[in-house]
Amino acid sequence: MAETIRTLSLIIVLAPLLGAILAGLFGKVLGRKTSHRVTVLLMFVAFFAACWVWKLTVLDHGYLNSVLYIWGESGNFTFNIGFMIDQLTAWMMLLVTFVSLLVHIYSIGYMADDSGYQRFFSYVSLFTFSMLLLVTANNFLQLFIGWEGVGLVSYLLIGFWYTKEAAIFGSFKAFIVNRVGDFGFIIGIAAVMTYFGTLDYTTVFAKAPALAKAGTVLAVIPGAPWAVLTFICLALFIGAMGKSAQMPLHVWLPESMEGPTPISALIHAATMVTAGVFMVARLSPMFELSPTALSVVLVIGATGALFTGLVAFVQHDIKRVIAYSTLSQLGYMMAAMGVSAYAAGIFHLMMHGCFKALLFLAAGSVILGMHHEQDMRKMGGLRKYMPITYITFLIGALALSAIPPFAGYYSKDAIIEAVGAASNIPGSGYAYVCLVLGAFVTAFYIFRAFFLTFHGKERFSAEVKQHVKESPWVVWLPLVGLAIPSVFAGAILAYPLLYASPSWFGKSIFVAKGNNVLATLAEHYHGWFAYALHSVTTAPFWAAVIGIVSAWVLCLLVPSWRDVLVKRLSWIYFILVKKYGFDDFNQVVIAHGSKRFGEFCYRVADAKILDDWIINGSGRAVRFGASVVRRLQTGYLYHYVFVMILGLVVFVGWFELFETHSVLAEMLKSKYF
Amino acid sequence: MIALSNYLILGAILFSLSIAGFVLNRRNVITLLMCVELMLLAVNMNFIAFSHYLNDIKGQVFVFFILTVAAAETAIGLAIVVLLYRNKKTIDVQELDSLKG
Amino acid sequence: MTIPHIIEQVVFYFSAIMVVISGIMVIAQRNPVRGALALVLAFVFSAVLWILLESEFLALALIFVYVGAVMTLFLFVVMMLDMDIEPMKRNFVRYLPIGLFISVLVLAFMIYVVAPEHFGLSKYAKPLHASAAYSNVKELGHVLYTKFVYPFELAAVLLLVAMVSAISLALPVVRERKLQNPAEQVMVKREDRIRLVNVPSEKRID
Repeated sequence: MAETIRTLSLIIVLAPLLGAILAGLFGKVLGRKTSHRVTVLLMFVAFFAACWVWKLTVLDHGYLNSVLYIWGESGNFTFNIGFMIDQLTAWMMLLVTFVSLLVHIYSIGYMADDSGYQRFFSYVSLFTFSMLLLVTANNFLQLFIGWEGVGLVSYLLIGFWYTKEAAIFGSFKAFIVNRVGDFGFIIGIAAVMTYFGTLDYTTVFAKAPALAKAGTVLAVIPGAPWAVLTFICLALFIGAMGKSAQMPLHVWLPESMEGPTPISALIHAATMVTAGVFMVARLSPMFELSPTALSVVLVIGATGALFTGLVAFVQHDIKRVIAYSTLSQLGYMMAAMGVSAYAAGIFHLMMHGCFKALLFLAAGSVILGMHHEQDMRKMGGLRKYMPITYITFLIGALALSAIPPFAGYYSKDAIIEAVGAASNIPGSGYAYVCLVLGAFVTAFYIFRAFFLTFHGKERFSAEVKQHVKESPWVVWLPLVGLAIPSVFAGAILAYPLLYASPSWFGKSIFVAKGNNVLATLAEHYHGWFAYALHSVTTAPFWAAVIGIVSAWVLCLLVPSWRDVLVKRLSWIYFILVKKYGFDDFNQVVIAHGSKRFGEFCYRVADAKILDDWIINGSGRAVRFGASVVRRLQTGYLYHYVFVMILGLVVFVGWFELFETHSVLAEMLKSKYF
Repeated sequence: MIALSNYLILGAILFSLSIAGFVLNRRNVITLLMCVELMLLAVNMNFIAFSHYLNDIKGQVFVFFILTVAAAETAIGLAIVVLLYRNKKTIDVQELDSLKG
Repeated sequence: MTIPHIIEQVVFYFSAIMVVISGIMVIAQRNPVRGALALVLAFVFSAVLWILLESEFLALALIFVYVGAVMTLFLFVVMMLDMDIEPMKRNFVRYLPIGLFISVLVLAFMIYVVAPEHFGLSKYAKPLHASAAYSNVKELGHVLYTKFVYPFELAAVLLLVAMVSAISLALPVVRERKLQNPAEQVMVKREDRIRLVNVPSEKRID
């Protein structure tokens, strides 16, 4: 069976790469149609294989951990490319290939008029390849390769419309902020290399408890020793913060919305940004050993869940609202990681991958219908024109708001309850409050967007009105394809993934004995329907309902209240519009600061010291020396002759007077003379 | 009996005189050329003296060639002086400073 | 026939002193014509010394070639070039110390090397006089035309080249090249090239 998994995994990983190469290098030859057919077909192959692998691992308990080839050897270290296929990987592969396949199909319609059609498909396939490389890795190095690969393609795709200034700015921002995270990540990998001597997951996981027990410490700041494992986990988590856009490294994600909408759905909602979450889950055997790291993960995740959601209140761009929603939901996932509810986090990751991709693609469909208008103030009343989009968006919004029995409810509620149950972790009280408030926030902003877009007055111009219509089938088919799991998947998967013992994650996720909050929750689980009914007694449900109602009131019923609220709470409004000042801080302090520093270096180090003192200085010294020496160059013949004679005199005199064994003296002594 | 050193010292005196001529002369190129002739004479003197005292005819052969080369050199040198004069209207060495950088 | 030693010494010292004096005159004369004549004198007395050294051919060649041809050429050129004989006292005195110092230094070095203890009679005895049948011309010719025949031919070619080059250098040629003068080109003004003419327009004929 391992052999089958191996072959299938190879197919899964390499099929998108083949598609990327074909569409990217031979796109011109293949033409538009053949390019998308090839990539979609290969994606379909990958998806099919992923389903098969899912069956083999999750249902038949197959497992594979093998080295494909040795990439490099250096001393005692070997760097391998290998697969570790277990249940977690299988789920991720399934999600990635599924969403990617639908996005491929969707893009046929969405990108139909674009001149960079083949390039787009090539990038998307390349992204899928990198993401699959990331999730199938069996060592840190391959993880890092995939990590950087998705980062690169993300950069390329945000800046896909490279003539748009905002897109270029966004792509740079994403790239640079991710560098900050990757810096921490690579330090973490280096620390793993140093303390474990290998980068293979299994070996590292096997050695980790011993290292934790030995109490090895590391003085990052002199005088304040840290447990090595905590240091490694935190360094790796900094990488996850960059990639999964956790506060304060989240600033790039809203900016990334400048890319094409399918990309926002695939990369910046469903897959890449969840890489950090996946990584924490994958490295659960290490994080479990460091309560400090878990606590940090929890607090950062919960903070992000609430506060980034609040910013979505004041956004007018439909994609930005969903982008901030993504930030918030990533916060939920991270919070789940923090309380060791890895299964819940990954479950939410998958559900979120479906409904958030759905929301994005639906938003894309709206944008397509509105002829690339993204401002919600210029929409409204679209439900008549775009019924399928309307319904699917509603499904996505309900799922996101965690209304039972939609998918989001089972995952999100599990997270909130897990956080509530895990009172032994520092910061869990704060996190719980954040997450419950977050439920209200989530429901409010997504239904605000929903009402503004599909209900109310038609605020678009008459000219647009003539064109606006339902999108073609290649666009709405993926919407339907994503809507189905957004409705049902939660109810179906909740039990086997979260509460069953052993769950469908099997041994791929490690939870320490005292930390298993999901096990305590499992006692209260009595089937999906009962769980859905149970919701009416919980705070998050009512928070979400209040959110929906207040969104309805403020957007449709009495829109004037909105202005009153803005006026009354103008300082909060100001803070939210400024997005807590992160962007301004980065722009003013970091970007301008480094620019200033660069200018300082330029003026002092470069212009003054190097240019003026060293370069011009040596020039001036030469000029000065030359002005002195030039006086010797009189141009008079007799001066030159004089100097020649003087030289002759000195030379001959030297030999005659001081060199007793000179040639001349020997000559004089010789027999001949 | 005249010693070899007498001739050699005479050659040395002539040589130093022509050096002094180079250094002291500030007037014209022709005098410089004449100093060169004087210097060659000093060298020839040495050659012939050695040839005689060492009883070797090759020294005289050498002088013969030196005379030839000196004649050629003088001819060309004087031609250059004429050309110089034609172009610069002077052969005053103090005014010939176009080598100055 | 042998020459008595005393006569030989008298001839040597007299000629040597005359050579030195005429050498001094060469460098000290303000008039190049006189300088050239002093150089002729130096050559003549050198020829005397060379005869004492029994190289009669070269002594005569010195007279013929140098005094007869080279120095004549010098005088020709000196007189052809119409140069003003200006006073050289100032410079002469100014450079006298350094010139004397250098030449005396060189002289001291050379005398130190060729001093009598190195090249005196004790080291190099005066060779016997050649017999009456000895012919310096014949000996020299013998060597020149056998052993040194190639250098000899080369010397002839060298003289030819010298002659050709001297002629080509000194011959006044008509300049046929049209060189451009960059300075003139740069400094040209608009007014030099363009002239605006105000032509009154004719009246229209209706």
